[in-house]
Amino acid sequence: MDTGNNQTENKPLARGDDYLWDGSGEPDPEIQRLEALLGRFQHKRPAPVFPAIAPDRRWAFIPGRMRLVPVLATTAAAVVAIAVVAFLVNGRKTVPVIVAGWDVSSVAGTPRIGPNVISEKETSRLGVGQILETDHQSRASLRSEDVGQIEVEASTRLRLLTMDTGLKRIALDRGTIHAYIWAVPGQFVVDTPSAVTVDLGCAYTLQVDDSGAGLVRTSLGWVGFKLNGHESFIPAGAACATKPRVGPGTPYFEDASTRFRAALARFDFEDSTPDQRASDLAIVLGESRKRDALTLWHLLTRVDEGQRVLVFDRLGKFAPPPAGVTKEGILHLDRPMLDLWWNELGFDDISVWRHWERSWAGASTPVREK
Amino acid sequence: MVHGVLLAKVPLTEVDDLVQDVFMMALRRLSTLRGTGSFGAWLAAIARNLANDYHRHSVPEDQLTDDTSDNYIAGGNTGGDHEGAATEILEAVRSLPDAYRETLILRLVEGMTGPEIAARTGMTHGSVRVNLHRGMQQLRAKLNPNPSSNAPEQETP
Repeated sequence: MDTGNNQTENKPLARGDDYLWDGSGEPDPEIQRLEALLGRFQHKRPAPVFPAIAPDRRWAFIPGRMRLVPVLATTAAAVVAIAVVAFLVNGRKTVPVIVAGWDVSSVAGTPRIGPNVISEKETSRLGVGQILETDHQSRASLRSEDVGQIEVEASTRLRLLTMDTGLKRIALDRGTIHAYIWAVPGQFVVDTPSAVTVDLGCAYTLQVDDSGAGLVRTSLGWVGFKLNGHESFIPAGAACATKPRVGPGTPYFEDASTRFRAALARFDFEDSTPDQRASDLAIVLGESRKRDALTLWHLLTRVDEGQRVLVFDRLGKFAPPPAGVTKEGILHLDRPMLDLWWNELGFDDISVWRHWERSWAGASTPVREK
Repeated sequence: MVHGVLLAKVPLTEVDDLVQDVFMMALRRLSTLRGTGSFGAWLAAIARNLANDYHRHSVPEDQLTDDTSDNYIAGGNTGGDHEGAATEILEAVRSLPDAYRETLILRLVEGMTGPEIAARTGMTHGSVRVNLHRGMQQLRAKLNPNPSSNAPEQETP
């Protein structure tokens, strides 16, 4: 089945192939016409269940169940036999397909998984590699017993990348999702075009516009935002923007003053002169309140060396550096000292994040399989 | 996936029966499967073997014609023009080399994405991409042999 020509397998292909590959990128009108015409030959009957091959993942977390393996295997074999016989005898009756993924239900309109419209009456399954898309009138809801629930707003496109035991990963190409995650912190990851969002035990809203720019707003727990070496931690009540080619900006509490937020946005994303940047930083420092220590801590690693002492002094006024943290160390961006100071700010223990970084060293870059 | 693999190789009227045969055979051979990770590739291999058996025992290779009937048309529009065009295109796909036609049918008929095809069939992402790319190139050439009209200009979004 393989072409057998391994030399050409990794050769870069034309950009127009993105749509052919996974439906992303600019739609190719000719391929769309072929899909529309050939879709009539698509298989509409359900496949039989092979539960012994694709077990429910909930069982994997209960070691005590291992003792039941022989019993389960026998039961599974019997179920397989019954399922296949039922399929053969009643070809058009519904037999659910068990695949790793999310259960998807339609909330409004006609959300689609690939070319297939999700029925209003039945739950569909979003499998690895599949695309869920809502138009401007559609909304959908995803649920996984092991991970959480995601509400998908209108005009949204997301892909399921992985559903492994330790890492559940989706890509949000555009649109808005509200995620309520109960998986172990660090296990649920969302790629956006300009940053990777890591759940650290929380509920949050993530938006991506057509340019690839994103905004995360945390309502419970906290979220990590990361692109390559650039990282932001966003606790409940805070938000953080991200832009293509720049990555995550500096997080801020949404109740900060308008001047504070405007100056911070310019500082993060505008191509300003050094004088303008200094002016914007002065506004941020001047407008900051005690709880804006969140923003100030992040700014320590984002300002020029000469400005860092200003940020240090302002942050120190709100939250004095704890024992073991020195001015010299912070000015030299000593990572353990920065982490120690973060833990004093009262948001959460940064060790959770560091653990995720060690576990998923390669996961801080959005997955690109093209 | 099984349906797509078979559709690439046998006449439409035989596909549904053979889908059932594939699952029957899979059930009988389930104990020979080693490792759950290769389940999709294993099932695809059974489908391909059954399709080959079909040709060995019943129909000469060159009689892979489409006798499309409404029973096999799942889409809503069964208008004659569209049906004729669809059958013609399906024939063009099925005249491509094995690897290309199977991958293209999974993509264009069954609506699977490239990553999904790779996950289900056990092929590498690279192989699926190359098969899709080259298969599509050959299909475009077959459907529109005039190169000047077959090379759409890149549009500015």
